[in-house]
Amino acid sequence: MAIDAPVDVAIVATSVSPCHRHFDDTEVALIMDCVNDVIGQVGMDRHSIDFTIAGSCDYLSGMPFAFVQNIDAVGAWPPVYENHVEMDAAWALNEAWIRLQHGDIQTVLVSGSGKSSPGRPREVFHLQTDPYYSAPLGLDSVSASGIQARALIDSGKATEEDFAKVVSRSRRDALQNPNAQVKYDKTVDELLAEPYFSEPLRMHDLPPISDGAAALIVSTADVASDLCENPVWIRGIDHRMESHFLGLRDLTDSVSTRIAAEHLEIHSGPIDVAELCVNYSPEEIILAEALGLGGDCVVNPSGGPLAGHPVMATGLVRVIEVANRIAAGHASRGLAHASSGACLQQNLLCVLEGGYA
Amino acid sequence: MTERIPDSHHVLEFPYTRTTGPVVGPFLTALRDGKILGSRIDGKVYCPPLEFHPTTAAAVESDFVEIGPGGTVQSWTWVAHPTPKHPLSEPFAFALIQLDGADTPVAHAVKASSADEISTGMRVCAQWREERAGSITDVYFVPEADAAEQEIEPGEGDVIITEHLISLTIAEPLHSHRRRFAEGLLDGKIIGQRSSASGKVYVPGRGYDPMERVRLDESTEEEVADVGTVVGFTEINPVQYHGQKERKPYIRCSILLDGTDQPVQGIDVRHIGVDDFRVGMRMKAVWKAAEDRYLEDIDNRYGSIPETVVERWDPTGEPDVDPSQLKEHAM
Repeated sequence: MAIDAPVDVAIVATSVSPCHRHFDDTEVALIMDCVNDVIGQVGMDRHSIDFTIAGSCDYLSGMPFAFVQNIDAVGAWPPVYENHVEMDAAWALNEAWIRLQHGDIQTVLVSGSGKSSPGRPREVFHLQTDPYYSAPLGLDSVSASGIQARALIDSGKATEEDFAKVVSRSRRDALQNPNAQVKYDKTVDELLAEPYFSEPLRMHDLPPISDGAAALIVSTADVASDLCENPVWIRGIDHRMESHFLGLRDLTDSVSTRIAAEHLEIHSGPIDVAELCVNYSPEEIILAEALGLGGDCVVNPSGGPLAGHPVMATGLVRVIEVANRIAAGHASRGLAHASSGACLQQNLLCVLEGGYA
Repeated sequence: MTERIPDSHHVLEFPYTRTTGPVVGPFLTALRDGKILGSRIDGKVYCPPLEFHPTTAAAVESDFVEIGPGGTVQSWTWVAHPTPKHPLSEPFAFALIQLDGADTPVAHAVKASSADEISTGMRVCAQWREERAGSITDVYFVPEADAAEQEIEPGEGDVIITEHLISLTIAEPLHSHRRRFAEGLLDGKIIGQRSSASGKVYVPGRGYDPMERVRLDESTEEEVADVGTVVGFTEINPVQYHGQKERKPYIRCSILLDGTDQPVQGIDVRHIGVDDFRVGMRMKAVWKAAEDRYLEDIDNRYGSIPETVVERWDPTGEPDVDPSQLKEHAM
């Protein structure tokens, strides 16, 4: 094990909502279905879950304190012990894992949710940039990714055809994913015939606008086997970040991902499956190189975020997709990746494995 | 029916004013006055100037260097579909531009007539706008050959504050249960949802029971009374913040309608003085005439029963309810 952690932590239940272009109900309803699903899987009374943590962002649906309303999905009465991160719920999972290391609690419910459909994501996401130099320019995440894609092409590391290959494979794989929102069987040539949206990116290089949610329950080893048949163990979790100034970064590399991967010693065993937070198709090429993934590793069999992007749950869904494949016996060890910020500014890695604690 | 309900949208705005400090301030002041500054840290010139060391994050002394206005494009994308948040309304390029004299590139906008005019390695030059406010948007870039000679008149004083209005337009069709509630109001009815799990009645329904955590569909909906009891109130003296529409003090109260289990919040009372208003008071809705009822500003956020459908709430004259019986509903 790469991380010397005192408490072994397992994923014992997971749930993912379908990705909707527009979900005709509240964010609470999206989360509630997932929460009820995972609680049902472990057969627990909700009041006996020790800690609850969620990831969401009020700006997406433009409802200040939406994260407070979201607690309705968990049940706020009698009061529950809970916390919230204004980040992708993969970071909520990170906090859950740390919280369990204290050794005084056994179960944590983690949920993530986002409704991007009511807003205009390009106008929302520029607000996460620095407020003096970038936000007044409206430097949105699509444009930033376009600049990154160009840098990748100019460096000789990838071509527009490589981007199209990522999209073609991802959305074809998504045909097998009932939760996927954008799925089709299109060749690279068909994709390259489409017009640019933010040259050198075409619309299909961008993630869809999605509404969705996900939830999971993690537990300590002493109760994991009572809660489910095939616990999936978190062997390590690590996250790193880079400058928010694009000009201070090598946009053709993901240094923070590389450091996290080295820290976790991800190659101390085979990686059968990797679910990567590929929001924009060029990111898969950057991540695969930073992670040193070989041809025997299946990447984004769910289709990844290009097939469905429930912002603030997208990273947690990557963890769940890997965990579900391990629990089902289709893989024995896998890697999940989540990202936040423009052009892979922050990156989280989680190594998952089946078997015993 | 449905055309009676306006499109559901709202604008979320936060007017931010930020102090600029010892690094951003001089940069923005100089920019307004026609100069671009970089900051020298360990022998390297950074633009935009940094308040911290790029690798150790330690605070750094300001050591400004004038750079530009010419520079070289390091990477770029063509913004074919600009948004209202972008600095140029016609299609343009966002680029990383390494200004002459700087060692790192800055992200900025390049004005050009088409993507064909933009390439990595091309030369560009800053152009100043007529109206300058000490903002990063006081300039934009153009291909060097298109750059005009400019005389920039310095502004007055130092730029110590920036103003940035965040404004997001949020548009979403009303959720089905919310639309039925809205249509009920126009018909002079208040519609609640009776939980299939607990039997408790929630008004307005949210599409779920927040206590038992089950989803509630149309079959759980029923008309409830338009008479109830005040369970809580406050007197609001409107603070004149950005977007405030109220001017005079008024009472905002919560009323538990008879037969329901969750008070309707945010009911405004303007014709009763605060000294005469009490928890426990019995109140009845006085509806506007059917032809005068309308809805505006209705969206999927928590809503109340607006004054555009209920003219006001009048005391019924019944004896007050003992407030100790309302403890569970105090809001």
